[in-house]
Amino acid sequence: MARYLIVDSRDLTEYTNGRYIQKVAGKLKEDGNDVTLFLIENGVIAARKGGDIAKNLTDLSKRGAKVLVDDISCKARGVAQLADGISQSNVDQLADLITEGSDKVIWY
Amino acid sequence: MATETTPSSAPAKVKRVAIVLATGSYQREAPTTVLRLVEKLLQRGVDVNVWAFEEAVTLTNKDQIDHNEPGSLQKVLGEKHPNIGRFIDQMIRAGLHGAKLDWVSCILCVQERGVEKHQMGGSIVGTLGDLWKFVKAADRVICIPTYR
Repeated sequence: MARYLIVDSRDLTEYTNGRYIQKVAGKLKEDGNDVTLFLIENGVIAARKGGDIAKNLTDLSKRGAKVLVDDISCKARGVAQLADGISQSNVDQLADLITEGSDKVIWY
Repeated sequence: MATETTPSSAPAKVKRVAIVLATGSYQREAPTTVLRLVEKLLQRGVDVNVWAFEEAVTLTNKDQIDHNEPGSLQKVLGEKHPNIGRFIDQMIRAGLHGAKLDWVSCILCVQERGVEKHQMGGSIVGTLGDLWKFVKAADRVICIPTYR
């Protein structure tokens, strides 16, 4: 089992392969890995409560993955309400995850 | 009798991070995010090596100037919009007394863009050999995607 940190800085709706990275996260979790999906920049748009992709992210968190969003990116985009299962985070926590909380880092 | 302890299987703490960046000034948010992250990594005593190529070599152009913010935004953002090179310069200098930031700009990319002679002190013009050494030495390699 490995600890995967997937950082998503793109709007998941902007590129079709946004679906791919969610599938990768889900599959890695399914295979027994520890998975954290960290949304930053336009990536946080998908975490807004009520959105279609937000439902997928909630589902991902129900399957045991951690889904985190950068607080500054949310404030900059007016994302105030997060979908269920998604937690607010910050770059401090991202640095901790990179240095101590992960074995592999993927930046999408 | 003392109980024998199992050696820790926890991975060694990350000491060196390599970041590969290809996004230039005012293109997208990636350089700002990288600087936010670099600052936090340096605070944790982690050495950071940034390999800047393609448009990212313009980030360390020393001839960038602060420009005025539009009047309507000055109450929010202040009068001047500082250039990104200034923040990079400050973080490279911070390494004199703490964890170190090396910022290398690709030689071919600076030449193609005519900014080879305009690179600020502290940044280094380097080759793919430097990138290879950064990757080889790093505990973590983070490649920031460039959107097309």
